[in-house]
Amino acid sequence: MSLKLRLILSFLCMAVLAWLASAILAWNEGREQFDEFFDTYQLVLARQLATVDWSNITSKTQNSVNKIINTLDDEGEEDDEALGLAVFDKTGKMIFHDNKNGRIFTYDNNTNGFAEQYIGKKQKKWRVVWTNSIDNRYRIAIGQEVDYRNEAALEMVEEAYIPWGYGLIVLVIACVFLIHQEFKPLQKITKDLQDRDTDNLCPMEYRKAPKEIVPLLEAMNALLLKITKMIEKERCFIADAAHELRSPLTALNVQLDVVELASDDKKTQQKALKNLREGLERSTHLVEQMLALSKIDTQTHENFDDFLDWKNIFFKAVNEQFDIANDKNIKIKTNFKKNFALKNGQSFLWSLLLRNLLDNAIRYSNVGADINIDIEENKIQISNNKTSVDKKYITRLGERFFRPAGQKINGSGLGLSIVEKIASLHKCSVTYQSVDDIFIVTISM
Amino acid sequence: MRILVAEDDRLIGDGLNIGLQKMGFTVDWFQDGDDAFEALFQAPYDAVILDLGLPNRDGLSILKEWRLNKRNEPVLILTARGDVDQRVLGLENGADDYLAKPFALAEVAARIKALIRRSNNRIEPIIAVADIKYYPDTKTVTKNDKNISLSPKELRILELFLMNQNKVLTKEVIENKLYSWDVEVTSNAVEVHVHYLRKKLGKNIIKTVNKIGYILES
Repeated sequence: MSLKLRLILSFLCMAVLAWLASAILAWNEGREQFDEFFDTYQLVLARQLATVDWSNITSKTQNSVNKIINTLDDEGEEDDEALGLAVFDKTGKMIFHDNKNGRIFTYDNNTNGFAEQYIGKKQKKWRVVWTNSIDNRYRIAIGQEVDYRNEAALEMVEEAYIPWGYGLIVLVIACVFLIHQEFKPLQKITKDLQDRDTDNLCPMEYRKAPKEIVPLLEAMNALLLKITKMIEKERCFIADAAHELRSPLTALNVQLDVVELASDDKKTQQKALKNLREGLERSTHLVEQMLALSKIDTQTHENFDDFLDWKNIFFKAVNEQFDIANDKNIKIKTNFKKNFALKNGQSFLWSLLLRNLLDNAIRYSNVGADINIDIEENKIQISNNKTSVDKKYITRLGERFFRPAGQKINGSGLGLSIVEKIASLHKCSVTYQSVDDIFIVTISM
Repeated sequence: MRILVAEDDRLIGDGLNIGLQKMGFTVDWFQDGDDAFEALFQAPYDAVILDLGLPNRDGLSILKEWRLNKRNEPVLILTARGDVDQRVLGLENGADDYLAKPFALAEVAARIKALIRRSNNRIEPIIAVADIKYYPDTKTVTKNDKNISLSPKELRILELFLMNQNKVLTKEVIENKLYSWDVEVTSNAVEVHVHYLRKKLGKNIIKTVNKIGYILES
């Protein structure tokens, strides 16, 4: 259900409920007012009748009164059940009545003042005031049907509240119109977003928007900015990746051409095939590294609190590289300092970091080199000798796809970027040093 | 045709070196910028294939320096960047053509041939002298419209004479055009090849200029 419809329905319900509640309250209030008014009226009438000398009343008098009352009936409007009047003597005999409702009154010797009594064959509820005549020889009863009073109160409320009902309808229509108008900025935002091209990530205009929508638009703009940055980053990555793949693909292309051209020259063909395999391995390594980098690029620091079995992580990382190191007669030594302590983090990422550092150390070291891994408190240091890294390139190490000019050893130029990204995800820093033929990478936590 | 290849990527450079040789070019391949720069002053190259990202000295500065030193050999630049700016920069600095990676060997060879043809002021792809016709694209030779079979070296010498018609070519120039630096040349190799060429194409096609060299007159 739309917010607009919910608002309209809620307002409609609330308005009707408020209207009904106030009508009920008014009806109650009206009834009390009517009770007070009619009670006073009955009491005044009873007191006046109490002063009458009822001893002279005969059946003739009653007949005369009946005639007068009948005549009056023809002349004015009177509610049948508006009022009843009866006078009894002390024996309970009705000596006078109003020739209407009073005729059905029954004698009550015990009540003085007001009482609610069920009277007549239909046993309707009446409010009756009983009083004695001044000479104390007669009992006078003035009564009024309770329903009459209720109906009178209801009629009064109806007359007062029906115009309010029409007002309510006008109010609801006005309210629906206003809600519709007030929702226009939201509709405009929706339309703006719907009409946008997929590559349009410009911020939404919010200066003219209502104050309540501004935070939403600001949040949306912040999200658009994040998406823009992410897309920009992806575009750069894809452009870099496409660029970096050009050289390995060229190598594969020309080597394949050589294989075809050297169909009559087995030696050259064999060499080209070997080169082709090397080129494929290089491309595979590059693609794997690019995928790894792309994967960790989307990571955030939030889920990095796993407790890590560091000894096992180092053992596995060294073990993975053992054969390749062995081929170049390179020895890897792992030294855990006493009471070493390293950060928590994500095991997969730290393994990837170590794999890249060891792969680099082995790849760029000469035959017979030594690789030392020193683990201290909040520090990992990997050093390898028999290598040479020109100091002028030290500051550029870690740049994506950076490879020193003239580097003859195959590599993706992404290994140290991956290392730096993983370190930064764990809030660690990476530094590089080149001293003589030793290259040292330090991860500080 | 002798080509200078300056490419630091081992697999690409090796592929260009071997592949172009197989296609009939004489190739000298350098991986270092400084070496490539110097090489152009040391041998008579017909064209240069120049990668822009070379160690020690980048391709663009090499090209600029060559042009400042009046070296007008046609240069084909190789670029890994797909963007227009770098191509424009290369052309503005004196490159004659560019080729974006990845490329196929056949494309490199075709571009190089076109560049050499253009630098020799030849538009038509067929070279004809008297009753002899040479088709550089297919490396075939006809005499009176009949195919003549030539060895790769004979073909290269004929090509050299056809592109330098009416010019006396010394034995040394021919050797330089024919052999790269890593090949040992026997002292009478050129004479032997010229002898066979005359046998196959006619005695008078290549004339000896006493104590200087040889000439092909149009």
